[in-house]
Amino acid sequence: MESETMLCTTDQCVEQEPQYTHIDRNEFSQRRHKKQEEEEILICECKCDEKDLESACGERCLNVLTSTQCTPGYCPCGVYCKNQNSDMVKEERPQITRRATRSSALAKSVVEETDTSSQHPNDASASSDIIKEESPQISRRTTRSSVLAKCSNNVVEETDANSQQQPTLDDLVIGEGESFSFDDLVSSFPGKESQIKELVHLLGPQNSPMLPIFIYGGSSTGKTSIVLQTFRHLKRPFVYSSCLTCYNPRIMFESILNQLFLHRKKAENGYSSAKRCERPSDFVNFLREALVSIIGNPQGQKSGLSSKRSGKANGNMIYLIFDNLERVKGWDKGSTVLSLLFNLYDTLKMPEVGLIFISNTSPDTYDSNMGYVEPNPLYLPDYTDDDLGQILMRHQANKKLYTSFLSVVLRPFSRITRRVDELSSAFSLLFRKYCEPITDLGVFPNEEMKRKLFSQFQPHIAPALNEIFKVSTQPSTEVEARERKPKVSTRKSRGYEVADQLDFHMSTSAKYLLISAFLASRNPATLDASLFDSTGGSNNRKRKRKVSEKSMEQKETAEQELLIKGPGTFPMERLLAIFQCITSVAEDPLDDEEQAQDGLGIQDGHCGLMSDVLLQLTSLCGANFIVKGGSCPLEGSTRYRSTVSEDMALQVARSIKFPLSKYLYRR
Amino acid sequence: MAPPSSASSGEDSSTPDTTQSQLQHSFLLHKASDKLISSGKARRRRRSIDLSPTKTDDDDKKQSDDERWLRMEAFQLVWSRIESTINHVLRNINARVFDHIRRWVWDSFNAIKPLATISPGPFPLVSQVTCTQLFTGLLLTNNMEFVDDISTFQELGLCLKSHGCHVANLSSFDFSSKNGIAGCLTSLLRQFLMSTFDAADMSILASWYSRQGNYGSPVVVIIDDMERCCGAVLSDFILMLSEWVVKIPVILIMGVATTLDAPRKILSSNVLQKLCPCNFKLGSPAERMDAVVEAALVRQCSGFAVGHKVAVFLRNYFLNQDGTLTSFVRALKIACVQHFSTEPLSFLLGWLLVKEDSKGVQSEKAVKLASELLSLARNQIAEQTEVTIVHSLTELTKLQKLWSTVVLCLYEAGKCNKTRLIDLFCEALDPDTYNLLASDGLTGTGKGFVQSLSSDHCMLEQNLSYRKGRLICQLLGRVRDLPAALLCRLLNGWKNLTVDVPEIHDKVKELQSIVKLDEGSCKPDLKEISRRHTSRSPLKIGQSQSINEKAAILMDCMVRDFMKPIECTAFHEIVCYRNVENLQSALIGDSRKMIQVDLLEFHKTLQCSCCRRSGNIPLPSMPDTSIMYTLAQEHGDLINLHDWFQSFKTIVIQYSRKGTSKLKKSPLKKRKERNESENKSEASIQARFCRAITELQITGLIRMPSKKRRDCVQRVAFGL
Repeated sequence: MESETMLCTTDQCVEQEPQYTHIDRNEFSQRRHKKQEEEEILICECKCDEKDLESACGERCLNVLTSTQCTPGYCPCGVYCKNQNSDMVKEERPQITRRATRSSALAKSVVEETDTSSQHPNDASASSDIIKEESPQISRRTTRSSVLAKCSNNVVEETDANSQQQPTLDDLVIGEGESFSFDDLVSSFPGKESQIKELVHLLGPQNSPMLPIFIYGGSSTGKTSIVLQTFRHLKRPFVYSSCLTCYNPRIMFESILNQLFLHRKKAENGYSSAKRCERPSDFVNFLREALVSIIGNPQGQKSGLSSKRSGKANGNMIYLIFDNLERVKGWDKGSTVLSLLFNLYDTLKMPEVGLIFISNTSPDTYDSNMGYVEPNPLYLPDYTDDDLGQILMRHQANKKLYTSFLSVVLRPFSRITRRVDELSSAFSLLFRKYCEPITDLGVFPNEEMKRKLFSQFQPHIAPALNEIFKVSTQPSTEVEARERKPKVSTRKSRGYEVADQLDFHMSTSAKYLLISAFLASRNPATLDASLFDSTGGSNNRKRKRKVSEKSMEQKETAEQELLIKGPGTFPMERLLAIFQCITSVAEDPLDDEEQAQDGLGIQDGHCGLMSDVLLQLTSLCGANFIVKGGSCPLEGSTRYRSTVSEDMALQVARSIKFPLSKYLYRR
Repeated sequence: MAPPSSASSGEDSSTPDTTQSQLQHSFLLHKASDKLISSGKARRRRRSIDLSPTKTDDDDKKQSDDERWLRMEAFQLVWSRIESTINHVLRNINARVFDHIRRWVWDSFNAIKPLATISPGPFPLVSQVTCTQLFTGLLLTNNMEFVDDISTFQELGLCLKSHGCHVANLSSFDFSSKNGIAGCLTSLLRQFLMSTFDAADMSILASWYSRQGNYGSPVVVIIDDMERCCGAVLSDFILMLSEWVVKIPVILIMGVATTLDAPRKILSSNVLQKLCPCNFKLGSPAERMDAVVEAALVRQCSGFAVGHKVAVFLRNYFLNQDGTLTSFVRALKIACVQHFSTEPLSFLLGWLLVKEDSKGVQSEKAVKLASELLSLARNQIAEQTEVTIVHSLTELTKLQKLWSTVVLCLYEAGKCNKTRLIDLFCEALDPDTYNLLASDGLTGTGKGFVQSLSSDHCMLEQNLSYRKGRLICQLLGRVRDLPAALLCRLLNGWKNLTVDVPEIHDKVKELQSIVKLDEGSCKPDLKEISRRHTSRSPLKIGQSQSINEKAAILMDCMVRDFMKPIECTAFHEIVCYRNVENLQSALIGDSRKMIQVDLLEFHKTLQCSCCRRSGNIPLPSMPDTSIMYTLAQEHGDLINLHDWFQSFKTIVIQYSRKGTSKLKKSPLKKRKERNESENKSEASIQARFCRAITELQITGLIRMPSKKRRDCVQRVAFGL
């Protein structure tokens, strides 16, 4: 339906007699025509009064109130029902008038003609939409001029305020003035020559229309850079919008329109956009308006008109680039926006507009069965080792040294990642380490030196392979270093120092809670009784049977399963029970000790630890040590899951001298 | 309050039993001569002391209003001192780290500045991949709990702002999955641009930054608690910032509560790739705690002190329960409030402070308080003179000062071994130790100092060594083992600390001169000596041995002679809070238990005659909720609602039967009436039942029926 109406409305550019084919019913391009089942038909409770025909399905009608159309033949009011599509009510039919202007009346008539045949109640809303859309169409000419006036107003302001030049279409071209030859372009992307050529080929000459292009490839393979640099080379105007920065449809629409209207957000205009645009339909209208004003106006006074007449782009291609398209899928109404974008070529029917989509997933991942023109796919493969070497070499001062460095590291690393950004940041650190033994960085390494460097450097490679995120400390922490120096043989006397091994502070009860959460996640619930019950624990564990081959196997699979499943979930009751058990076991000896040490009459040890466990639980959840899982559908209570690693749990246990390993269930 | 019209207005008042107090008030407001006030107060004072504290005499209550006001004032004075001291200390402790951060921010800004000028367009275009990295400072707060650091980050923001950065403070609430990326961008723009936008967008920020006046200084975004943020939103935010970093030089500072692993846990690798991290460390909570204890309690900023048990409780509460300074400060405040609200003499503390501050300005108040003091002295302390009290109060402050000096000296000695001041503080407050020493005649207040110094061994160690783990004894041992260089430093520290105490100061100086002599004579084998000492060989001979030994003896004497715990001094009740039970119940408060106790033993509160004898048998005169809860005790895990209602009804109807049977009416009328009343009562009983059950649910003692078993409620609380 939508594409149909768009088709109708776009014809206003052409001044000749519009050519359209008469269709009897709506053609559904995106989905099949849905037939309403009989039981789905909503029947209102209106009663038709013979005397007062106005009352039939009036304001109080149930269907009117729910914005639904009554279905003819089912409505109790029969033929008097007023809740019908306006064209159902037999009124005077609009005449098809052929006026010379590309007026909207034309579009309207076409729409209504197509609508008469439709029996579908949902179409009522659609047709009303169209009627709404009319108004901007009628006033198109005036708006365009007013926008222009507004633009020029802005220009004046800008020249006043920022002493900037008047924004023109040239602003949409990057790298003006400088020359950027094709060879430069190719040399800056090693190994991508064929793709660049294909891209240039797909873009075609300046004045030829093109089909949408869909560029895809893994991250950091140069998709965005190649496109942008190609445009820099070609010196053509384009509008760039990244779906990452523009995180919802409205911002994307407005950012595109702002660029097209040559509008800048700034303090003088309250950082507002050129147009407020939230709905896709508005966007299409505004977009067309902006494109017409740009293409038709400043640049080609000579060519613009003729292009309009012929319906063929004569020059002044303008390109819309949509980067990070895969992000749209995660949006709230992502599918709508995606179909809008892919349909944009058909909807706009403007040959001067080229669409380029950039995504890191292939076109197959987008729902392609939507009846739009398939964009030309262009795949950018990962860089090969040689390409990577060339790229990484580009900004190095001492190429020879770096070559020898790359010969050592590139092989192992490229097996893990071929992303340029990851490699370059990893290598910058490693290279520094590699160069450590050398005093003069400008030296040309010979074979012997290379070997020496390698033997020194080799131990660093393997750990660096697993390092994703290296945190450097501020070098100017000399005070800390000084403090660390006078570390005299410390005798570990109290819990304090041991606790310091854990490099952040946690209260004792939080530690116990963390351990009990770890135990609850790690151990199967059936084992709790034997582990924590002081009577039943030991004998249960000692009873070891001879294990058969089969049970061993079963055990192994169960083990693997557990590994895959990760830490188990547990209800809070279990956590609290374990907490109470381990505190009662572990607190007692500690209590005595403390009592002796401090001569402490009132010891709030055990019951004190219990006092605000829930508060501690919340803060543990906040620190991501315990994750609040989904609620169990049967019980309806929240389940938790501990995410701490065993090392960390052992560390915590050590800091409070809790024998954790005794309580761990080893398979 | 009584109208301040005239003295006679009190007599006119309609209620006869309040006349006197009202008279008092109008009397006070008229500001009669000092003598009259003091006599009035004296009378009041006498009464409030003579009478038991539970007495609720209206007259007395009104009379003590004035005194309460004085105490209130004293509290405010004391607490404002403590609070400002603590704030000051906390601010200073972070200063160094903040300075590091500030320098790092500017360094990294200089690193990205050249990039920021590249792209003039309205959207960020990147020419190099590596320059999209975002400089990120990870500020380790070293505490799992977050409360303490909220103010830290605010202050960091202010500090950076004052050095010319644009700063926005975001917290985890801005990074909720509900609001998504729009939430944090909106809050970012609100802080930078001071206005809200319905479509928050980075391009707005970019154009704001390019304006005159904003351009040329770094944009710092501080995220308080990274762990609590929603990972997806935070990664989107970082990706977006890194895309725009060529236009807006954003520098990110994130607070990490736990370990450096935390970002790795919540962010994916391609986001981590965008970060160029650098970590900073705030002081650990234990360090901060020590600093606060030192400033607020040891150095006596306000004169307010806590007893040994309270100190131990505070320490344990910090270590075991909560681990935040915020709660420690809160506990201290509660202690302070309770001290001033329960201790009648506590207003003298305020007077002490005022006296210390300015002698002339508040003379009027001082006079008033002094006269008060006089009357007090007459009544309470067996006709002692004013002079004695003033004298003993000054004595008290002097002793306190001595005590704090010694504690600080000990702390100085323990610093290199990471002795925590709070442990030392607890031990130094222990009155038992002191009493033990005193009973052996080993203590003295200054007079015996010089003589005791002449002894050649440490008395303390002999007397206290059997109590294992004594911190002070350990410190003595450590001083004996100290290498020469550190000993020198320690003596220097002592010299600075003991400026106000000439006795110790002189001795320290003496020791220092010996050390200097030593250094001159036997420098070559200094190393050897220190080595020998660390190995603790039994053959300790020579000069340096005696120096270490002398230092240890000095320390020993200091402890014995000057470190008198506050609880062992006279009049310590005025300044020292000791009621640990009250503090504990105020802090920890076992609310559920209290509710249950109140429900089961309600008559203690109500003190009605009708249900006193009941024991555990529910009576109709009891409150409904109590009846219900008593009945619930008989049930197990689940309580059948119908059974419960029936038993509730039988108990309640018992009462109403009794009530109706008293009325004598004609049988016919009676039956009709009864029918009606039965209907009525049935409904009302149901209503009462529902109400009681709701109350129980709200207090958390029962849980509403689940879907599986609709006819039963679940008991949640068992036992007390």
